[in-house]
Amino acid sequence: MLEASTGVRVTATEQRVLLSVDHLTKKYGDVTALDDVSFSITDGITAILGENGAGKSTAIKILLGLLQPTSGTATILGHDASSSVETRARVGYMPEHDCLPSLISAAEFLTHMAEVSGLPPSMARTRAADTLRHAGLFEERYRAIGGYSTGMKQRVKLCQALVHDPAFVFLDEPTAGLDPAGREEMLALIRKTHREFGISVLFSSHLMADVERTCDRIIVIQGGHLVHSGEVSQFTKDTETVFIEVDANREELVTALRERGVVVTPDGGGLTIEGPDVSVYDHVRDALVQTQAPLRRMAPRRRALTELFERGEK
Amino acid sequence: MTSGTVFDIGYQNYHGVREGRSRGRLAVYKDGLRAALGLGRGGRAKILPWFFIGVLSAIGLVMALVAGAAERLGGPGSAERAHIPTHSDFYGIASIILFVFAAVVGPELLCRDKRDGVINLYLVRPLTGADYILGRWLALLTVMVLAAWLPQIILFLGLSGGDPLPMEYLKAHWWDVPRFLTAGLVMSLYATTIALLTASFTSRRAYASVFLVGLFVITTPFTAGLAQEMKGSAGEWMSMFNLTNIPVHVNDIIFGEISEITSEAPARKLASWILASWCAAWTIIPATILWARYRRLAP
Repeated sequence: MLEASTGVRVTATEQRVLLSVDHLTKKYGDVTALDDVSFSITDGITAILGENGAGKSTAIKILLGLLQPTSGTATILGHDASSSVETRARVGYMPEHDCLPSLISAAEFLTHMAEVSGLPPSMARTRAADTLRHAGLFEERYRAIGGYSTGMKQRVKLCQALVHDPAFVFLDEPTAGLDPAGREEMLALIRKTHREFGISVLFSSHLMADVERTCDRIIVIQGGHLVHSGEVSQFTKDTETVFIEVDANREELVTALRERGVVVTPDGGGLTIEGPDVSVYDHVRDALVQTQAPLRRMAPRRRALTELFERGEK
Repeated sequence: MTSGTVFDIGYQNYHGVREGRSRGRLAVYKDGLRAALGLGRGGRAKILPWFFIGVLSAIGLVMALVAGAAERLGGPGSAERAHIPTHSDFYGIASIILFVFAAVVGPELLCRDKRDGVINLYLVRPLTGADYILGRWLALLTVMVLAAWLPQIILFLGLSGGDPLPMEYLKAHWWDVPRFLTAGLVMSLYATTIALLTASFTSRRAYASVFLVGLFVITTPFTAGLAQEMKGSAGEWMSMFNLTNIPVHVNDIIFGEISEITSEAPARKLASWILASWCAAWTIIPATILWARYRRLAP
């Protein structure tokens, strides 16, 4: 089946590729922001992770057609990203930084943004009201945005990205600056955006916890290189460790674990076991019995994002 | 009494028409008009633009009343004999107010978008930086043309209505209408472009406004003084840098007479084509720079 409005090919058996980059390289003078990066994104919620300067924003700008790649191609909704301004009518973008006018109401602002995306005025008004209702801002829609709380402003930012009903939306650090309750609400809204509205999401973040609870897939970029691309569950499994703390016989326990083929690293007062699977827990139990080491604590633990990047560089 | 149930039908995808880039351009233009006139904003945003439009209209009205009274008291043609200011003089009299109006309203269209970051949202929609600046430029031009033409229309209606023989007045002076429309358009093109170019360099509205007011107000005595000192051809060219007078010289060419404000300017002695080209250059070059600045703009 060919979807005429977006040009995206879809079959019953395969997921539609909404966005793809192929051997993408972007250089600013001598600095390489992206180096031969390739990935594709299908329906769902995908996170793009990376430290500041990793190349996330460059990748997003190339996909939005705002930057020309030095080499390689970027395709969005079936069109070459660098040559199709019109494709942006089916794409939403929520920037990380402030982007809201303070003097006008949310309803008026969203109506205007829907019109800028090509919707006729009457439909723009309807869509603005509907989008604000789904974001929980319906009652506040005629208040000037300048008087909103940070959480409400963040929701208006999301609403302006959704008001024209895009097929795909980019969210740049959508939980930045929010308190825990606001963060929960925003993550719930992002999940709702895909599951109820049917809009696929690519969001960039530094927060692994947000990513794990919200996303289906993950792309990790570090220093302009693609470090990882795949399902979040696989990523979590690949990066999980087990932390063990014993009161005595620590060296004997390390030897016993290594004899059983377990990759173990001393970590402060405890031990970290890499890449655990089901059998690892049996090996730990047997080694503890063998060495008579009194177990104080054993818990699964995730690597910090920075550790992942260090590992990627290696 | 009947009862009913309200159902939440949930999120509805949009399957209607999408009008693309042309709708986006129109939306930017419409929003520019609303921002310039303070429509859809609080009361404070409306004060300055409508104050200036009111002042300009009042000047047209007073000129019409004075001329009408002279005609009534002194008989037909007495206003002209008494050299009471009319259409050809209006832009000379009101030019500084028009420029201050552009200085106040112009930055409102660009600076706030930059300061609030809204410009970034335009550039990720089906619009280019050139589309955005064209929409804003047209919006300010529309408002400037309104501010320039409205008092002249009031003056024309007042002069024809106040004349003892209105139809005779219309027959004798209909040619003033295309003249003041053209002169007003030239004035608006010039003021719009310079105001927006200045505003494009800052995100602070007040800085742009103060700079523009200073530019228009200060160059007048400064260039007049230097022109007097220099004398001759050099003085004439120095007088050309009086930014307030540049479009008024074109007004003089269009009406075929020297207005009060330019009667003392040495530049009036220069050929008409030089004065017209000078005004065109002061409009086209800033417009090109403005377009170039926004053409490749990215968030």
